[in-house]
Amino acid sequence: MIKLVTILALFICSLVSAQTQYEQGMTKALGLWNEGKVSESTALFERIALVEKDNWLPNYYIALMNSTAAFGVKDKDKMMAMIDKAQTALDVETLKNPNNPELMVVQALINTVWIVFDPMTNGQKYSPKTMELYQKALAIAPENPRVIASKAEFEIGAAAFWGKDTKLMCNEIKRAIPLFENEKLETPFSPKWGLDRAQELLKNCK
Amino acid sequence: MKTIVSFLMLLISIFTFAQTTISGKIVDAKNKPIANANVFIDGTYDGSNSNEMGEFYFETTTTANQTLTVSALTYESIKIAIIIEKYQKQSIVLKSNATELNEVLITAGTIESGGKSRVSVLKPLDILTTAGNPGDIVSAFKTLPGTQIVGESGKLFVRGGEANETQTFIDGVRVAQPYLQTTNNVPTRSTFSPLLFKGTTFSTGGYSAEYGEALSSVLIMNTIDEPDLEKTDIGLMSVGASIGNTKKWKANSLSLNTSYINLKPYQSLLPDNIKWIKPYQSIGGESVFRHRFDRGMLKFYTSYTASNLDVKQDNINYPDQLHLANKNNNLYSNVSYKGGFGNNWNLFAGLSYGNSLNTGLFDIYNFSSTENASNIKLKLSKPISVKVKTNFGVDYLYSNFSETVNNYNSGFNSNILAAFSETDFLFSKNLIAKAGFRFSKNYLLKENSIAPRLALAYKIAKNQQFSLAYGTFGQAPKQDYLKYAKNLQFEKAQHYILSYEYNNDKQIFKAEAYYKSYDNLVKYDTQTPLYNSNYTNNGSGYAKGVELFWRDNKNIRNLEYWVSYSYINTQRDYANFPKTATPSFVADHTLSIVSKYWIPKWRSQIGGTYTFSSGRPFNNPNETAFMNGKTQTYNNLSVNWAYLISPQKILFFSVTNIAGIKNVYGYNYSNTKDSNGIFQSQAIVPTADRFFFVGFFWTLSKDKKTNQLENM
Repeated sequence: MIKLVTILALFICSLVSAQTQYEQGMTKALGLWNEGKVSESTALFERIALVEKDNWLPNYYIALMNSTAAFGVKDKDKMMAMIDKAQTALDVETLKNPNNPELMVVQALINTVWIVFDPMTNGQKYSPKTMELYQKALAIAPENPRVIASKAEFEIGAAAFWGKDTKLMCNEIKRAIPLFENEKLETPFSPKWGLDRAQELLKNCK
Repeated sequence: MKTIVSFLMLLISIFTFAQTTISGKIVDAKNKPIANANVFIDGTYDGSNSNEMGEFYFETTTTANQTLTVSALTYESIKIAIIIEKYQKQSIVLKSNATELNEVLITAGTIESGGKSRVSVLKPLDILTTAGNPGDIVSAFKTLPGTQIVGESGKLFVRGGEANETQTFIDGVRVAQPYLQTTNNVPTRSTFSPLLFKGTTFSTGGYSAEYGEALSSVLIMNTIDEPDLEKTDIGLMSVGASIGNTKKWKANSLSLNTSYINLKPYQSLLPDNIKWIKPYQSIGGESVFRHRFDRGMLKFYTSYTASNLDVKQDNINYPDQLHLANKNNNLYSNVSYKGGFGNNWNLFAGLSYGNSLNTGLFDIYNFSSTENASNIKLKLSKPISVKVKTNFGVDYLYSNFSETVNNYNSGFNSNILAAFSETDFLFSKNLIAKAGFRFSKNYLLKENSIAPRLALAYKIAKNQQFSLAYGTFGQAPKQDYLKYAKNLQFEKAQHYILSYEYNNDKQIFKAEAYYKSYDNLVKYDTQTPLYNSNYTNNGSGYAKGVELFWRDNKNIRNLEYWVSYSYINTQRDYANFPKTATPSFVADHTLSIVSKYWIPKWRSQIGGTYTFSSGRPFNNPNETAFMNGKTQTYNNLSVNWAYLISPQKILFFSVTNIAGIKNVYGYNYSNTKDSNGIFQSQAIVPTADRFFFVGFFWTLSKDKKTNQLENM
């Protein structure tokens, strides 16, 4: 009897500790990102991704972190290395999950990095692709605040260039804010970023 | 009690684990530390990054046999079997992964456009936004080093070679008739719309063994793999109209575009130097169908153009003007498949068919000609290891040409079978060699040949490299000769190329020196090649030169520009030359400056292209020395302006030769002396001093963001 209890207890313990390991790892990796240690955080996410093969989040964070960090990097080789890292990680998950709107948002971000880096060359090439992605993402997840806000931000950029009114986009951002606030996370590590940025954007909407 | 204790112990041990420290140092082959390497135990989260000193340190709860994995950007990952309890601090050496970013590339003689290649010199957009070439793929390449400005022809003349010494390929397969047929001194255009192509490789010498039947140069164009989105393009131009459409569904996509060009309204408004009976008009279209397989891509490309013109030219030998008329139907179609199979094998298979039908009038002679040409190519490639890659294949070229001039028939049937093989050796991250050969059997000429090719590239610093290329190249004599004479041999050339390249963030500098020798060039003994001329392979020649290229998109915001300069020294004894001389299509010095300036406030791109070339030789029969004349220098400044009315509507203006400089390409002399004992001359000039172009382009797509800026 005691043997049985021991085995049972052992089993439960290992389950508990396995989960803790994932949670600890993710928490630590996200913490490193917060501290601005992108390469350390990327390395840890990579290790997690290798173990958690059925979980799209580690690769998602690698892609998200490296693409956001690549914004404004002036050195082409450095920028390319980051984008490469982001794209490689994202491709792994997009292949498994082509209709995941969160992954689409990150792909759109990567495209935007290319556009910002060299608008004359890449604007024509990536703008339509990016718009197509956002539209597809919005059709799949019409209430996803990150899709709504990122799409609106991208459109505001274009509208500024054409001297067009940004009212429609601002309304979209307004719509996204309560969606951000009431967002129910599927798992503790599901994407939840974007509220700050949306509020920032809204300040410029008048 | 005992069991409870042991149970507790067990629990505690699970929570605390036995922690073992794993540490060491990561270095490269030269014992230099590698920072930011990811070191970890396979299948666990246990690991860390190496620091600036290459040192790493982490704790693991695993035990016994484990695999330690080390990965770092630009290095080959390594897996080491360890026993945790016995692990000792150690140095781990990573081999550099030569195929990663910044690898050394063979670039001698090569100019690339598009693609993500680091050596890309032109961007796809450049083909369209370069002032002076209204959307003609070939003319954008004429602003690059190695090419000659031969305004009366419109074709590519490379490094002292004639236009027929350049072969064109689409998706790997030969295009036998890349140009539209025109007539005497009326420049031609290529038959392809830049809309459908992504990357283009233009090689001015020393190219791969995969390509044959080209003495001087190859132009390799690839159609777009997957269009970005569905759209309809409408263009209204001062010289015609165009419409295009792209559809996508599942793994398939189809692009169609068609255009109608008629110069009549323009000619009536702004008459040029030619008396047109029927100004140039053409109708044409292209289509690309693509299907994506799991491991491959099938493409089906077709283009068709029908054009005609009828003109009376002033000609010194025809007091009543020379009457020329021409109708041309040009069909080209190719199917290609590219894909992987088995263990890392890559297969390419392609088949092309071209038909060109030409009928017309030259003075009082009616002519008609037909050419049917086909190319079948099969190529296999496989990386044997990270350092060695090999490819081999077969190439079959068929051509049937027949011509009738006032009931006199001539023609030929040509079959060429070739086999090629090439291997890349990556000796180190900084040194690569490519060696190969091409064997070719020409059934018409009853001749076999073997052409070796060799290329080397050595990277001397992060952004700088040297390349060397050598090769022998053979080509059957051109149609004009082959239709009358079959007892000829291959014409031959040897290329020696040395090139230096500096490539930094948005800046490229390239310097190239070359020497080229020609042998077995065809000679004949009459004024023009005739059925009864004596043809021999006794000609020869050489070309040598230095070329410079500089492109900068960095220093001035919103400005992109490039400068090309070519110096050439070439002489040949060929065709009907009485002695060795520089041919009339060669100018010693050629300079091009191309710039594009983007003005965000005006939503406009303004472009300018200036081209200069020194005088070209011509033969003056009044002088005893052959080819002793030199034309004046050639100068041309062309400008264009693209204005974005809205995200989907563009207005485009361009003026070719804005200053209206009277350029002279050469001189025609009368065949007989006049009463004063002098051969009278006539200058060969452009069909118009200036050319104006206005276009309105409108794109209809779901996202309302795309436009046709790329079309111009």
